[in-house]
Amino acid sequence: MGMIEARNLRKTYRAVQKQTGLVGSLRGLFHREYREVKAVAGVSFTIEPGEMVAFLGPNGAGKTTTLKMLSGLIHPTSGDARVLDHVPWKREDSFRRQFSLVMGQKNQLWWDLPAADSFQLHREIYSIPRAEYDETLSELTDLLGVEKLTKQAVRELSLGERMKMELIAALLHRPRVLLLDEPTIGLDVVAQTKIQRCLKDYHARRGVTVLLTSHYMRDVEALCERVLVINHGALIYDGPLAGVIERFGETKLVKLRFEGPPPDDLESFGELVRREGPFADIKVERARVAMVLAAILERSVVADVSVEEPPLEEVISRVFEEAEAAHDAA
Amino acid sequence: MNPLARSARYLRILRALAAHTLSRELAFRGNFLVKVSVEVLWLAIMLAFYKVVFARSSNVAGWNEPQYLFFVGCFFALNGLIEMLFLDNCNEFSELVRTGDLDALLLKPIDEQFLITCRRIDWGCAPNVFMGSGVMAMALYQMSWRFDPVKSAAFLATFACGVAIAYAFMVLLTSLSVWMVRNQSLMEMWWLFSSLARYPKEIFSGRWAEPLGMFFTYFIPILIVVNVPANVMVRAFDPAMVLMMLVATAALLWISRRFFLFALESYRSASS
Amino acid sequence: MTPPEAAILMPPPPRAIGSLPLAVKKYLAIFRASLLERMTYRADFLLGTILRFLPMVTTILLWRAIYAGSGQQSLAGFRYREMIAYLLLTNISRMFSSMPGLAGGVAREVREGTIKRYMIQPMDMIGYLLVYRIAHKITYIIMSFIPYALLFGVCHSFFDGFPDLATLGEYALALAIAFVVGFFFEASVGMVGFWFLEVTSLLYIVMTLNFFVSGHMLPLDLLPEPWSGLLKLLPFQYMAYFPAVVFLGKAKGAELAWGLAGGVLWSAFFIVLSRVLYRRGLRRYSAFGG
Repeated sequence: MGMIEARNLRKTYRAVQKQTGLVGSLRGLFHREYREVKAVAGVSFTIEPGEMVAFLGPNGAGKTTTLKMLSGLIHPTSGDARVLDHVPWKREDSFRRQFSLVMGQKNQLWWDLPAADSFQLHREIYSIPRAEYDETLSELTDLLGVEKLTKQAVRELSLGERMKMELIAALLHRPRVLLLDEPTIGLDVVAQTKIQRCLKDYHARRGVTVLLTSHYMRDVEALCERVLVINHGALIYDGPLAGVIERFGETKLVKLRFEGPPPDDLESFGELVRREGPFADIKVERARVAMVLAAILERSVVADVSVEEPPLEEVISRVFEEAEAAHDAA
Repeated sequence: MNPLARSARYLRILRALAAHTLSRELAFRGNFLVKVSVEVLWLAIMLAFYKVVFARSSNVAGWNEPQYLFFVGCFFALNGLIEMLFLDNCNEFSELVRTGDLDALLLKPIDEQFLITCRRIDWGCAPNVFMGSGVMAMALYQMSWRFDPVKSAAFLATFACGVAIAYAFMVLLTSLSVWMVRNQSLMEMWWLFSSLARYPKEIFSGRWAEPLGMFFTYFIPILIVVNVPANVMVRAFDPAMVLMMLVATAALLWISRRFFLFALESYRSASS
Repeated sequence: MTPPEAAILMPPPPRAIGSLPLAVKKYLAIFRASLLERMTYRADFLLGTILRFLPMVTTILLWRAIYAGSGQQSLAGFRYREMIAYLLLTNISRMFSSMPGLAGGVAREVREGTIKRYMIQPMDMIGYLLVYRIAHKITYIIMSFIPYALLFGVCHSFFDGFPDLATLGEYALALAIAFVVGFFFEASVGMVGFWFLEVTSLLYIVMTLNFFVSGHMLPLDLLPEPWSGLLKLLPFQYMAYFPAVVFLGKAKGAELAWGLAGGVLWSAFFIVLSRVLYRRGLRRYSAFGG
C-alpha cells in the first residue's frame, strides 16, 4: 500500500472565454462563453512511505493542480487518489493533521506578527502537545539556523528567512506526508542550499514522504532519487533520476584534446560545441559515440578524451520543448 | 472528540486569535485611534440626526424620544459587535478567493467556516459596543427605567440572537463572492442590506410597505435583529416574538452554514 | 461603520502608449480601456442595484413616520413629498460627486512609488485620473440609468411634475459643479499623501463627515442656526445639497446666482489647490526620493 496513490486522476475545468472589444464586453454582460481546459488528463502513480519524489514539468503542465487534488483542495473530475489511506477531498481532520502543503509563492504566516506567534496559533489549531511542540520547534530552528529570527515580525524578514519560517510552520505538527510546490522559488543559492539540507536532514530523521515540484534541477538532484515528469496533464516519465538523462538525453558530450590542431571536419560527427587551440567538444548521438570515437582516433592523434552526460537542466528543458512542439503539431 | 472538548479547543483557538489581533493592533496604535474616532463621529452623526428629528416630532412610528434613543444605542452596539467580530473577515473572503490564499486556510484541521469568519478581531470596533451600551443606559435613565430581571435576561438573549442572525446573513452574502470573483464590496453590500435593521420596523406600514415589512420579518428576518431586543427592553415584552427569534436564529445559522459549505464545494470544483 | 463610498475602487495603471501626436488620442484610448473594464462587472452589478434600493425604501418610510409623528405639513420649508424628492435627488448628486478610491489611489501611488511613471511618461497625473474618472462615471451613469429611471418612475408621485427647461439647465450646471468640486476636492486630499504616507485613515474621517455636512443625510435647512448657514458656506454642500435644491426649484433668483457663483469659486479653489499640492508634492518627492 503506497503512501500516496493516484489512479487515473483527471481535472477539467471551465474557463470564461474573455471577449475582446466593446461589443464583446457588452455581450459578456449577458452571455458568457466557456472553454474546457484539461489541466490533468489521467495521471497514475504510487509513492511508497519514506520516498522523496520530484514532480517535473513546465508551467501549466498540471503539477500544481495534481498537488491540490492530492491535498484535497480541489475535486478531480474523475479518477481516484489515496493519501495516508484517506481520500484527500473528504478532508477529514485526521487526514489534514498528518500532512502539509507548502507553496513557495504563498504566505501562510501572519504578516505583521513574529513567526513565533503564528507557530503558537498553529500549535492550537493542530492540537500539538506542548512538549512535542517545544522539541520540534527547537529541532527545526536549529536545523535552519533561525533561532533569533522567530521573534521578529514576518514582514521584516528576507524572502529566504520567510521561507524557512514557512517550512517550520509546515513541519511543526510532524506531518507524515509533505507536499512542496516550488519551495525555493526566488531564493538565492545560499538559502536554497540551506533549505535543501534541512529537508534532507528532516527526511532522514523522520522518514517523511515528500513530493516536490521545482524549477531548479539543483533541488531535484540534491533531494530526489525518483522523478515524475508531466506535460500537458499526462505523465511522460516515472522512474529514477538517472534514467531521465538516459531516456531523454539523446546526446553525450565528447571532449577531446588533440596533439596539434583538431581536424577540420569534426562537424560531420555531431554538433561542434567548442573549438579552441587543441580542444574540441562535440555533441554526439548516444548510439554513435563508440563509432565516432573510433573514427577520430583512427585519423588523428588524441592526447585526452572524456565522454560526459549532458546536464539534467538541459535534458529536461529539451523534453519540454519537444513535447510542446509535438503538442502544437497535433 | 466529544463536544465539550471540541468547544474547549475552539475557545482556546479563539482566545489565541484574539490575543494575536490585539498585539497586532497595538503595533499600529495610530490606526486604531483613527478607527475609533471615525466610529465616534458616526455615533455623533446618528445622534445629531436623532436630535434634529425629535426637535420637530414627539414620536416616530410609535417610539417616543427615549425609546428611540435606546433603539439607536442598541443598533450601534449590535452593529459594532458584528463589525468587530466578522465584517473584516467576511470582507476579506473575496480577496482570498481571488488570490488563491484561501487554499492555505482550507488545509488546516479545523472547521473552515470558523477559521474564515472568526480569524481576526477588529478591535477598533470594540469601543462601539461600549458607546452603544452607554447610549442605551442614558435612554434607560431618561425614561426612569426600573430594573426587571426577566426583561433584562430576555434582552440579552434576543441581543445575542440578533448578532447570530446578522452573522448568518453576512455569511450568506460572503458566500456569493465565490461566484462573483470580481466582487470586492461586501462592505458596501452589508451597509446597504443592514440599513433595513437600522430603524423601527413599525415604519413599514401602509399599502405596499406592510407586506414588505412582513417579508423582512418572517421570510428574510433582518428586521427583527435590533427590533426585538429593543422592544423587549423598553416597549412591549412579546414572548411570541422572542420565541420566533430563537427559531429564526437556529434556522438561519443552519441555512447559512449549508450555503457557505456549498460555496466552498463550488470553489473546489471550479478552480484548478 | 463606513458609508458606501468607502468601497475602494482603484483605477488600473495607465498603459504606456506610444508618443501619439495628439493628446486627445491618448486620452481617448484610456477612456475606452476604462469603459471596457467597467462593463465586465455583471452579477455584482445586478445584486448591487437591488441592494441599493433598500436604503431608499427605508428612508422613505422613516420620513413618512417622522412627518406623521410631528403632525405638521412642512418641516423647515420641506413638505413630505419634497423631502423624499430631495433625498432621492441627493443620490443623483452623489453619483456625480463621489469619487471612490481617488484619494486613496493617489496616496497609494506615492507610497508604492508608482507615481514615478507620471514623471517618466508624457502624461499628467491629474489629467489621467480625470479622464479615467469621467469614463467611469459615464459607464456608471449609463448602467444606472434603467434602475434609476425605474426608481424615479415608481417614485414620480413625490415630484411636482418635471421642472422647466431653465431649471434643468441650472441643474445640469449644478451637477457639473458637483463633479468638479468632488473630483478636485478628493484629489487635493489625496495629494496630502506626499507629506503623510497614511491618508486612508484621514480619508475615512473626511468621508464620514461629508455624509452629513454635504446634506446627503438630510436637508441642511433642518439643522438649527448657525449650523445650517455655516454649512451652506462650505464647499461640501455642492456635492449633495445644492444640485437637489436647484432641481426642486428651491433656489431661485439671487440665491441661485450666489449659489452658482460660490460653486464656481470653490471649483476654482480646489482646481488650483490640487495643482499646487501636486507640484509641491512632486518637488518634495524628487528631492527626498521615493
